[in-house]
Amino acid sequence: MGQLLALEWMKLKNYRAFWILFCIYLATIFGANYIVYRIQLIIYSERQSKGFATMVLGNPPYAFPTVWQAVAHVSSWLLFIPGLIMILTVTNEYSFKTHRQNIIDGWTRQQFITSKILFAAVLALISTLMVAITAVIFGFMSGEASFSFEGFSYVWYFLLQAMSYIMVALLMAVLFKRGGLAIGVFFAYSTVLEQIAVLLLNKYANYAGRYLPLETTDIMVPFPYIQRIVNKLMFTEPNYTAIFIASLVYLGAYLFVTLKKFQTDDM
Amino acid sequence: MAILTVEDLHKNYGPIQALKGVSFTVPQGSVFGILGPNGSGKTTLLGIILNVLKATSGSFKLFDSAPTHVHRQQIGTLLETPNFYHYLNAVQNLKIAATIKQQGLADIDRVLELVNLEQRKFSKFSTYSLGMKQRLAIASSLLGNPDVLIFDEPTNGLDPVGIAETRELIKKLHKAGKTIIMASHLLDEVEKVCTHVAILQKGTLLTHGHVDEILITDEIVEIAAANMQQLQSILQQYPGAKKVVVNDLYVELTFPPGAASLEALNRYCFEQGVTLHHLRLRKKSLETKFFELTQNTK
Repeated sequence: MGQLLALEWMKLKNYRAFWILFCIYLATIFGANYIVYRIQLIIYSERQSKGFATMVLGNPPYAFPTVWQAVAHVSSWLLFIPGLIMILTVTNEYSFKTHRQNIIDGWTRQQFITSKILFAAVLALISTLMVAITAVIFGFMSGEASFSFEGFSYVWYFLLQAMSYIMVALLMAVLFKRGGLAIGVFFAYSTVLEQIAVLLLNKYANYAGRYLPLETTDIMVPFPYIQRIVNKLMFTEPNYTAIFIASLVYLGAYLFVTLKKFQTDDM
Repeated sequence: MAILTVEDLHKNYGPIQALKGVSFTVPQGSVFGILGPNGSGKTTLLGIILNVLKATSGSFKLFDSAPTHVHRQQIGTLLETPNFYHYLNAVQNLKIAATIKQQGLADIDRVLELVNLEQRKFSKFSTYSLGMKQRLAIASSLLGNPDVLIFDEPTNGLDPVGIAETRELIKKLHKAGKTIIMASHLLDEVEKVCTHVAILQKGTLLTHGHVDEILITDEIVEIAAANMQQLQSILQQYPGAKKVVVNDLYVELTFPPGAASLEALNRYCFEQGVTLHHLRLRKKSLETKFFELTQNTK
């Protein structure tokens, strides 16, 4: 396993497009949260709006203990970027035909695709680590409450969410093989198509939209307090246990289809 | 020991049959040419052997046993096009190949020197010319000094000097006891370097065996004299000729390999009262031979 990752590192360490995207990604995690944090500052600095916000939301979201959840939620909107990086690293191999060469040189097909899955896991872990660090920074910057690990579980839900997004991206790359097509389908599905389907199914099919692939992990990381209010407006509370199990089943399915497809296809 | 044994290999791409039951054996120490026009199934065949394509049916063995990835690590391969990471230089690319092949990195400089790329070894692959890319691919296949090499159109994209160098390299590798499997659509290339040949056409193996047996070529003698009609009539009965054909310029006599004697022909004509003004021996062109081989079995 170490050797598979070492080889992935050899492929990436001199690849400039990867480093540019990766640094932009890390910077936007911090940047996007900073924007929301500034909005919070503005709302909570004015007496009148502070009173209203405290009534609806409670304490500032970027203060402990809700900061874990707030940062996880805001950062989750950026998960298309590691998805893009994932697609790029796989479809590059297809267009350079280096995936063929790796097999010809003596990797098994399973070794090749496992190296990509491991890379997906590393990307998800780094994203999660970045989210945790960002949360600590903003938690202290908000300064209203002392450090607390309460609500840290949302960071783990974010890890699941990141893994889910990146694995969907990997699946798209393996299914479509061409970068442009894979990126297009991934973007359209993750940002628009699924959201529409979620809305329609929730409205007309007894909240079945909650069980759509990416929604199962999205729904577990809502913005602090908001979900509580939304749930009150809805007639049925989401069954979080069932949704959690569904998200794991989906993740297993992405893995299975990706492995199967790569192992049986002509290259 | 057989290096490669192919048994009744079939490959379909949808309704198209790319391979229709191909079987042959590559003996150790041979230079085995797989000859066929474009689209005859050469690359498909090699792709299956290298596990980048899945056979529809049939099987093959490497080193007399069921094929595994460890066998592939021991075979140096250049399949179709040079496949490298465009944004990496030659050394970085070869490090990846060497790591996968479980070879040390010490061999990289040696193989780059063998193909004359040491000057450009720190240039990005994307800046290479077609010929340099091909040479890097050959260098990669030589990593770890493997005993078996598979080359698919190895002289593709090379200039005449590069082609000659590659042929010399293949001959040198053969002398060193390596087994080389080489696909080519260039008859002349196969004739010059191969010991064995298999001829593929539209997915069917037409024939295979020792190069001297398969690519034997008839000898043709061109003869001309002032009186062509008289010449033709006396040559119709010439003993040993397989065929007599008259065209605008010459009478052409076809002989089995090694059977044509210009001296005897000249004497015969002179004794019959015809003085020749043109007498030339030529071998049947390989192209003609190839067409014959591929037409006969249609």
